[in-house]
Amino acid sequence: MQFRIKGITAALVASGVLLGSNLAHASDSDEIEKLRALVQELDQKIRVLDRKGEIAEEDAAAKKKETPVVKASKDGFGFESADGQNSIKFRAVLQTDYRYYDQGANDIRERTDGRAGNIGTDGFHNADDTYILRRARPIIEGTLFGKYDYRFTPDFGSGTALVQDAYVDGKFAPGFKVRVGKFKPDLGLERLQSAADTKFVERSYVTNDLLPNRDIGIALHGDILDDKLNYSIGYYNGVADGSSSSGGVGFLGDKDVGGRIFATPFKGDDSALAGLGFGIAATYGDAQGERNLNFTDTTTADNTRQGLPAAYLTDGQQVFFRYGTGTVADGSRFRIAPQANYYYGPFGLIAEYAQVEQEVSLAGGGSPAGGGAATNSTIFTGTNKKLTHDAWEVAASYLLTGEDASFKGVKPKRDFDLNKGGWGAWELVARYSEINLDSDTFKNRNGQYAVASSGTTANSAYADLSQSAKAAQTWAAGVNWYLNQNVKFQLNYEETSFDGGAITGASHTSPGGAVINVKADGSNIKDREDERAIFARVQLTY
Amino acid sequence: MKKSFLSLTALLAALALASPILASAADVTLLNVSYDPTRELYQDYNAAFAKYWKAKTGDNVTVKASHGGSGKQARAIIDGLDADVATLALAYDVDQLSEKGKLIPKDWQKRLPNNSSPYTSTIVFLVRKGNPKHIKDWDDVIKPGVSVITPNPKTSGGARWNYLAAYAYALKKYGNDDAKAREFVGKLYKNVPVLDSGARGSTTTFVERGIGDVLLAWENEAFLAQKELGPDKVDIVVPSLSILAEPPVTVVDKVVDKRKTRAVAEAYVQYLYSEEGQEIAAKNYYRPTLASVAQKYEKNFPKINLITIDDVFGGWQKAQKTHFADGGVFDQIYQK
Repeated sequence: MQFRIKGITAALVASGVLLGSNLAHASDSDEIEKLRALVQELDQKIRVLDRKGEIAEEDAAAKKKETPVVKASKDGFGFESADGQNSIKFRAVLQTDYRYYDQGANDIRERTDGRAGNIGTDGFHNADDTYILRRARPIIEGTLFGKYDYRFTPDFGSGTALVQDAYVDGKFAPGFKVRVGKFKPDLGLERLQSAADTKFVERSYVTNDLLPNRDIGIALHGDILDDKLNYSIGYYNGVADGSSSSGGVGFLGDKDVGGRIFATPFKGDDSALAGLGFGIAATYGDAQGERNLNFTDTTTADNTRQGLPAAYLTDGQQVFFRYGTGTVADGSRFRIAPQANYYYGPFGLIAEYAQVEQEVSLAGGGSPAGGGAATNSTIFTGTNKKLTHDAWEVAASYLLTGEDASFKGVKPKRDFDLNKGGWGAWELVARYSEINLDSDTFKNRNGQYAVASSGTTANSAYADLSQSAKAAQTWAAGVNWYLNQNVKFQLNYEETSFDGGAITGASHTSPGGAVINVKADGSNIKDREDERAIFARVQLTY
Repeated sequence: MKKSFLSLTALLAALALASPILASAADVTLLNVSYDPTRELYQDYNAAFAKYWKAKTGDNVTVKASHGGSGKQARAIIDGLDADVATLALAYDVDQLSEKGKLIPKDWQKRLPNNSSPYTSTIVFLVRKGNPKHIKDWDDVIKPGVSVITPNPKTSGGARWNYLAAYAYALKKYGNDDAKAREFVGKLYKNVPVLDSGARGSTTTFVERGIGDVLLAWENEAFLAQKELGPDKVDIVVPSLSILAEPPVTVVDKVVDKRKTRAVAEAYVQYLYSEEGQEIAAKNYYRPTLASVAQKYEKNFPKINLITIDDVFGGWQKAQKTHFADGGVFDQIYQK
């Protein structure tokens, strides 16, 4: 096209020259008219070409407005409609951990007396050093019609495949949003922080052990008062402490009602308090668990059916507490969790407390372990108790390289690049946390220490203090290296001490040895050995 | 007791009388999605309507306008553009709002007088001053060497009127011989160097870019161009036969119900039929339908032998399917 325009222009110029020269010499006016007509014709052709170019540009601009936008950046990949009303985005979180345990760290998970293995002097297996694919989550999220956000997060990490998030969030107004599906209820502060943004490899007792993880339900939420107060109130299936809904049907009594308000009153101010946030969350529900099942015939207790947490874990992800298999949720469950965070320059602080009151009972019957004829699950009379557990944590962080700390991830001022001399962002972190379980958990209905219920007698305890600790205190320190906003390396050291959880004298469960049970006064109970662990993580997220 | 009742009644009556004063004026926004050459018409009309509505209800109404090729505008509404009112170039495009968008009832055209067309227009020729190519009628625009400017009938309502006017002329000339009519219109489009997407674009091509010998134009667009350029730049030529163009208007029911603007939107289209609305149309070179106003502006509009789309082409649905649908007559003759 450009060539044609130039050619025509040249012809025009030539015609002009010819015209000029001919004007001087031509005596034939017809010839002048012909030349004039030729010039006009060529002039029209140029104008037409120019106009077609304009129209093509206008069409291209119009089409551009209708053409979906393809996005590919360090924030993720996706597509968006030209008007921005509809989008899909592909993100991911991949975490590969290495866990090292010093001698003494141990795990009561899935261990039985008769099972062969390297059982230590306390009757526990030593925790294994291991690599673990902690999280492997492709994330699909986006918006439809400009107001319906959606998110789908499968997780293939930790040796299982499950759906972490699957929800729709209708954003009808900033202060009026409705979320439906499986998601993190607005409850725990540390839980609401993305797994990719946590300052430690693992979250604290507050989050891991007491407050719910994901649940299925509906929540009304929003930001009001000039975006300085976030509220949420939801109606959920209800899950046991630290647990997630499987995504299946809910069956353990009434639904849970949960709510949270979180204020950031100085948000946007030019003051040292601009990064202060505080709030409180609570849940209330009713749960009736059952000992084992008449229709699944499992060989081990089904803790989700019990309505109680499968276990409480240490920071080192080892089980330090477990209810007896005959202990079931039997009544109200109330959780409350005051919480706060503070960010000022490179400094960050998060503090959170949680308390759970849970009514429990001992149950018998149900499907016997190993199969066979089933009987109805029955509650032993006089065994109903309200147990109160609590946990708290304080964690601080400081970015040595001067980036601003926040609830979200860190963007290094200079990415790690050997050629350009950047070293990314470096952050020091420290945390103290502890969990305290109700002493009554380990006593029977007569107020005496006893073995944990297996569903055969009403005089059992709800958990066995010779195997499960009643308190754990952990301090942890670490360093985070953000190579860039997508790649992070974390190194944590944690040390945990316990109250109870082991028995004096001969091993409680040594293979072939005599079983020694907890004495009624608890005088043969001792503290479990301290747990010392080093966790390392390489994380990729976008 | 009786005294109390009377007092209460008096108080209620006083409150009722005071309520219009106490009530605060509402701010309402309407979107009128229209075709290309109506910019000036609705600029004037929107201001007049806002004044009328304020006086009538006390509410402030702001009417936003969107202009473009009529077909394109209809598609935009179907695709979700929240038009309270559609004022398009031809009934077929409004039909699409019913058929494809389910936004208005099927019998929308019966809701307002004159098939919901408050004003009409027709197609005339705009030529260079002095008419150097001696263009007098449709026969002249198909002559070799005559450069004709008209928009694309696929996207422009005005272009479809142009096309059908030429086609109707050819049918009459050749005794309804369709093959000859196609050949006639084919020759016309061979003379078209640029197809703009809308009528306003074609006016730009002809007037501002100086391309072509003749612009097939809405009558109102031709008058407007002459007014803006001055009578020494262009002439208007009235062909011996043209077509009665009836641009229709409608409220978009789904949108006005959603936005709760039905009352004001209905008043907006109805007021086009009022004396003031008709005056504004006439001043913007649209032929008024109200007899009194039509009579007043009679001299402004030349008398033309006008055919109707119903009489010659069996209505818009049939004309669209035959001539402008993909693979239709226009596609066949334009590809040749």
